[in-house]
Amino acid sequence: MPSPLLVPMSQNTPYIVEMRDISKVYPNGVRANDHVTFAVRPREIHALVGENGAGKSTLMKILYGMERPSSGQIFVRGKPVSIHSPHEAIALGIGMVHQNFMLVPSFTIAENVVLGAEPVRRRLLDYKAAVAITRQLSAQYGLEVDPEAPVEAVPVGMRQRVEILKALYRGADVLILDEPTAVLTPQETHELFTAIRQLVQSGKTVIFISHKLREVKEISDRVSVMRNARLVDTVDTAAVTEEQLARMMVGREVFLHVDKAPLRRGEPVLQVRSLEYVTEAGVETLKGVSFNVHEGEILGVAGVEGNGQTELVEVIAGLRPATAGQVLLCGQDITNASPRQVRQAGVAHIPEDRLTNGAALSMSIAENLIVDRYERPPFTRGGLLQPTAIKENAEWLIEQFAIRAPDGDVPVGSLSGGNMQKVVLARELSAQPKLLIAAQPTRGVDIGASEFIYEQLVRARDNGVAVLLVSADLSEVLSLADRILVMKDGQITAVFDNTPSLTEEEIGYYMLGVKRMSAEAIAARA
Amino acid sequence: MESTIPLSFDRITARKAVQAERRRSMLIDLGVTLATIIAALLMGFIVIALLGKDPFLAYEALLTGPITRLGRTGRWLELATNLILVGLGVSIAFRARQFSLGGQGQMVAGAIVAALIAIYVPLPPLLGVLIPIAAAMVTGFLLGLLPGVMKAYLRANEIVSTLMLNAIVLRLYDYVLTFHLKPEGSATTRSLPVQPTAQLPTFYELFGVDLGRFNLGVILVVLGAIGVWLLLERTPFGFAIRAIGANEQFARYGGIDTRRVIMLAFAAGGAVSALAGVHLLLGVHRRLFLDFVGNIGWDGITVALLARNNPLLVPLSGLFYAYLLVGGDRVEQQAQVGSELVQVIQAVIILLITAQVLGDWIRARRARTQAEE
Repeated sequence: MPSPLLVPMSQNTPYIVEMRDISKVYPNGVRANDHVTFAVRPREIHALVGENGAGKSTLMKILYGMERPSSGQIFVRGKPVSIHSPHEAIALGIGMVHQNFMLVPSFTIAENVVLGAEPVRRRLLDYKAAVAITRQLSAQYGLEVDPEAPVEAVPVGMRQRVEILKALYRGADVLILDEPTAVLTPQETHELFTAIRQLVQSGKTVIFISHKLREVKEISDRVSVMRNARLVDTVDTAAVTEEQLARMMVGREVFLHVDKAPLRRGEPVLQVRSLEYVTEAGVETLKGVSFNVHEGEILGVAGVEGNGQTELVEVIAGLRPATAGQVLLCGQDITNASPRQVRQAGVAHIPEDRLTNGAALSMSIAENLIVDRYERPPFTRGGLLQPTAIKENAEWLIEQFAIRAPDGDVPVGSLSGGNMQKVVLARELSAQPKLLIAAQPTRGVDIGASEFIYEQLVRARDNGVAVLLVSADLSEVLSLADRILVMKDGQITAVFDNTPSLTEEEIGYYMLGVKRMSAEAIAARA
Repeated sequence: MESTIPLSFDRITARKAVQAERRRSMLIDLGVTLATIIAALLMGFIVIALLGKDPFLAYEALLTGPITRLGRTGRWLELATNLILVGLGVSIAFRARQFSLGGQGQMVAGAIVAALIAIYVPLPPLLGVLIPIAAAMVTGFLLGLLPGVMKAYLRANEIVSTLMLNAIVLRLYDYVLTFHLKPEGSATTRSLPVQPTAQLPTFYELFGVDLGRFNLGVILVVLGAIGVWLLLERTPFGFAIRAIGANEQFARYGGIDTRRVIMLAFAAGGAVSALAGVHLLLGVHRRLFLDFVGNIGWDGITVALLARNNPLLVPLSGLFYAYLLVGGDRVEQQAQVGSELVQVIQAVIILLITAQVLGDWIRARRARTQAEE
């Protein structure tokens, strides 16, 4: 029990939420939070930054009642509390918007907002009241939504606003936003920031978890930096530069720009011709897509997620059958070839979702590293797997790709997001591909690992590999790509050479369908 | 290539920590397993006492039954041999995360095809045994292939298809036995005995040690366990099975022909399960009769689950489970505790141990969430 002397009176505290000396040690000995003291002032936008695995999510899960701290105290409005469940957190006015939305897709927005605390009339859901409540909250906080639209029919940005409204409806004063901009276009991010500012003006407090330092600089009043389970410092945002923040996060200088050798564009490696894809449900997701990727260039595909990028990548990789059109690799027709044939033709693929496609979490690093080549020498000889060769391969790649793991025997599931992605990268690059498809290569990956992944992609390009980069992160596309192709509704709507005059805003117009290039202009450049 | 990772990460210390952690978790696993068995036995003890029976007598019978008389020891080992062989077969498909319940049918089919050779074809020694064994394995392979093809290419649910196939095979068995293998004029529905050269000799026949019907078929267990382990851990096919079991989408993305591997995993499992049938035929009963396999196909699934589909642990879990079954029979005779109650005790033990499997799963999930944070 804390000594009563240490408990401040509710009036004396300048903080709405204060987490004091929080430690969290998991049963397997992993220390996720190490004596962290984190305090948030009322009506501020407080950014919480740190690399993957630095402990920020754990800290927020503790605050939201999803995890229990091993030691330490939490004060809300100066009163010591212990939060056992999200339910109790909500009762204390703390709400959280998760990275993966927790909405019922077939329900309308109004139904989702009130779900779990529905207005009732004669023991039935009072739908009109739900709509009215949603309208009123929406207007009050400037979070524009269409209350009667089903969630599955609205864009990601609006779904996020629904999540925020949900928290507000439950009386949240403190809103935790977990990497809210990860899924948004620049325009949507801009709208979100406007909404966040309005929330703060109407008396709310926002905790903003992010990797993106530029956004942190733009939106936050103060910023807390976590590194390696500890809170490094909390500073006024205005007093630090992006570079200083980056250094605090990783404990060293980082260079957020990418060094690229001048472009040496060779022969076309990948040729995509009038590619069409119709899903089993009959939805046309690729409508006549044609483009080339050449030796030694990075072609970036920009676009709001869900405009056909995923299907494009998976059709090329042999994971989905093309409905029509052709895919050629160095002149060889690989349309609808099996994933193995595609790989043998020289295609490597860093998949968008490494947890479902890119890795088997329960298998070891060593096994994950050979899934595309296990049946060939040196890993199989005379019909038997060669444990020594498999182990040596793992040790070599762990070293080369600076994967933070004690050895190749640990399951991939025990690695942090960034290191998991390095395992995928190590496997795909060590296959020595002619074409490297990199889909969302740095999603959920910390700065240190992102920078490393950028270096590797650029190195592959400089060595003559054709790189197809698909990313929802525009700044990533802009800093890496030699050419940029924009996808909207399953079509290419623009192709740019990546010149310094090209801005995120300009690309954003094409992503949202406000502008589109003529078919001739696209054909000439793609 | 220059590392861009902070050098604060000390790989040697981390490796030592991980190794210590692995040792610790192995000890914990062992302790927890023992504790669950003891807890389950205690619960059974209390239940028997509440029913007004003598729990001490019952437990003495359960715990010492299989080892106090050579004949019962033989029964225990013979039963374990069957359970282990089916368990090994089942674990192959399970490792690919395919819930094949076809063990029972594969055993029966293997036995009947082997019987046609072993009863009617006089063969020289050794071949007399090896050929029926090979025939049974081929039969099991083909019978396993069928649900495999249906699952891989037609997306038929394997639980339904293997269950239905069991039913078909068992009826066919009854038919063939009753109308074709039963000798004319025989009062009981049973076949002729297998040829003398087709018999797997018992330990009594070999060494004069009266271990009942326990026979040289035990060699199949040793070879089977090592063989299945080699298959899963040391062959590219086994790698593909494990990759599919760990994450099928990942396996496909990596270029593994998942449909072919799944199909063959079913078939390989069938070939091994069929060994139990041929062991019953050549070593235990030496002829066919109605209800020849009893419950072995089902108990073999439990054995595989208990061993977490690890082929090197399947023999241990098979010995354990067979011990419970034979001890349970003894309880019935000695303590007048009904067989249902014995089954309840067995079920409690199995439940508690499989619940530990659940514990592992939770642990793994936990590690994953931490990794993701």
